[in-house]
Amino acid sequence: MTDLREPASGPVLEIRDFSVAYRTQAGDVRAVDHVGIDMNRGEVVGLVGESGSGKSTLAYGAARLLRPPALITSGAVIYHGRRTERSADILRLTPDELKHLRWREIAMVFQSAMNALNPVLSVRSQLVDVIRVHLRVSRNEAEDRAAQLLDLVGIPRARLKSYPHELSGGMRQRVMIAMALATGPEIVIMDEPTTALDVVVQRDILAQIVELKEDLRFSILFITHDLSLLLELADRIAVMYAGKLLEIGSAQAIQHEASHPYTKGLLNSFPSLRGQRRELAGIPGSPPDLRNPPPGCPFLPRCGYGRDDCTRVSMTLAPVTGAAGLGHVTACPFVGPGTPAHPVPAGTEGVTS
Amino acid sequence: MTGAGAAGGEGSAGARTGEVRSAAAARGPLALEAIGVGKDFRTGPGQVLHAVRDVSFSLYRGGVVALVGESGSGKSTAARLLAGQERLTTGLIRLNGEPVDLSARRAFRRYKSQVQLVFQDPFASLNPVHTVRYHLERPVRLQQGTRSRQPAGQEIVTLLEQVRLTPADQFIGKYPHELSGGQRQRVSFARALAARPSVLLADEPVSMLDVSIRLEMLSLLDDLRRRFQLAMLYITHDIASARYFADEVLVMYAGRIVERGPAEELTQRPAHPYTQLLVASAPDPDNLGGMLRGAGPPSHPGAGSGGQRLPQAGSAASAGCPFSPRCPLAEDRCRRENPAPQRVSAARSAACWRLDVAAPDVLAGQRGGEATAS
Repeated sequence: MTDLREPASGPVLEIRDFSVAYRTQAGDVRAVDHVGIDMNRGEVVGLVGESGSGKSTLAYGAARLLRPPALITSGAVIYHGRRTERSADILRLTPDELKHLRWREIAMVFQSAMNALNPVLSVRSQLVDVIRVHLRVSRNEAEDRAAQLLDLVGIPRARLKSYPHELSGGMRQRVMIAMALATGPEIVIMDEPTTALDVVVQRDILAQIVELKEDLRFSILFITHDLSLLLELADRIAVMYAGKLLEIGSAQAIQHEASHPYTKGLLNSFPSLRGQRRELAGIPGSPPDLRNPPPGCPFLPRCGYGRDDCTRVSMTLAPVTGAAGLGHVTACPFVGPGTPAHPVPAGTEGVTS
Repeated sequence: MTGAGAAGGEGSAGARTGEVRSAAAARGPLALEAIGVGKDFRTGPGQVLHAVRDVSFSLYRGGVVALVGESGSGKSTAARLLAGQERLTTGLIRLNGEPVDLSARRAFRRYKSQVQLVFQDPFASLNPVHTVRYHLERPVRLQQGTRSRQPAGQEIVTLLEQVRLTPADQFIGKYPHELSGGQRQRVSFARALAARPSVLLADEPVSMLDVSIRLEMLSLLDDLRRRFQLAMLYITHDIASARYFADEVLVMYAGRIVERGPAEELTQRPAHPYTQLLVASAPDPDNLGGMLRGAGPPSHPGAGSGGQRLPQAGSAASAGCPFSPRCPLAEDRCRRENPAPQRVSAARSAACWRLDVAAPDVLAGQRGGEATAS
């Protein structure tokens, strides 16, 4: 296995001006619309958004895992691997180069382990398969490596013989993680890896992921709809809505100096278990139809701060005025961290009892 | 028992539940009682799964009781038992003080009109080939009675307005696939309300929805509870939402209720080791970067070992406490004998032999010392 502990600075992935459309008879659905974000080495970048916000499309598109009717319509995805000689635009790789890149450099952990694992193959054969497809090793070496991988994710080696249906949900998800780490990738994309699990198991697996990341020095793109989880887990958080990034900032900045009205609304949407009971507001309404997106800011119909200018904003990310840290950017030119909390539009009230 | 005067029938229910008065009791009269309810499933020759064991609680008009537990804890089976979807193996259900016998068709119908169930997945619970009107028309007609010549239309519009699907005529002709997840769940609520129930059993009603929509749906449920004085059972795996939404929280583990108490008190000072683990595991936004710094809650035996399969509801029909294999405080007695619920305050109880170690602060706050004597 190549040692990844060498230089540890600079971006490992740069997504620039990236767009994906789903071509349908009723017109293009602009699922990802001119999105740009960098990932640094060893960083956990959280991508948060509601269902249909384009967060999975962005991640899968960047790894070129989408099939028609999905079309990449603009942008570049530059990968700076430590094992590869020079940087490459993933969007321009040949099928052979792509095959090398996938899993070897960029691996994935899918949400539903039950569907992602093959039900008729044992854990051993699935792990050995992955290793032998991507690394040139003998069958014995691959078997050894499979056993080591199970140690890594805390599953007894005896489970190599098990089939997916014999494992609990948490264990299946651990097998998925083992599989993603099988080839020592630099980037692991995790798409809601713990959403289907109970909280106790979830916390346990997340702690393990972080530990593995520290040991093996990979970067994580963590996709979830649960902002509260990201605040605890991620270094940086990108907030996605209707195919666009609305705000990017450190976990700290997002929690204490959230700037975009949507981020503010999200923060005010989940009940917290600890501390004072807060008055919660939620966000009324639902996301726009991406076949026919409204001009300007897509959040306008649900925004408590909306004004006429909002239909003309360019939706480019600009530094938050007065932000403590660099790199805290927002797409909303009108509302900042200091603007008072989400005004609740008429007709909705918070949960009180 | 101090709360015996609250409502008829309270006493007998309370006698089996560790002598506590439900925090929901102050909301209104007693509606539905589960008394020592249990359900076994035969899983193979000579194998029995005790999905629900000796569960007792009461629902009061206008009050919300949350049933919290992980998947496989038996919480959904408990809801199905109360809804009359499954036959009880043991125990008794009483509605408005009357024992319920669902074997007779008419009694079953009458019961169903009083007690309605809302499911988790609004995609699966609505028929994709039928419109919103069709989904609501049948329960409305059943409610009006077969002889009624009254058109159902007006009633359907009223129902849609009650769940804030307005303007109603825009939604009435739509098919489920034309609605968002939140809108579909509103239709499910409207369908449940069509029978004019007094009890609403909501099985994870918001877990399938996006975070930004959940709160609005809970606020809608809250509004309906108040408006129709509904007695509500809110089943969830999210103990934080139970804190905000419920009056009383019941924590279920492996088919049993292991702790119960007023929502705020229980979530802020959990007494049972399982509840403590549950609370410690919930995402904590104030613990910024906590996982990265390795400063999460202390790793928990059983939770951390990874290789061990978590217990399903009552799968191992052992005599001891079901949580004992994962419990850091377990001792011999815990593995031998299942603890009965012990009262820790007027409205709280927990089923644990080692409460004095697990929650000394909670015990210290109790009134008098009679609860510790078993």
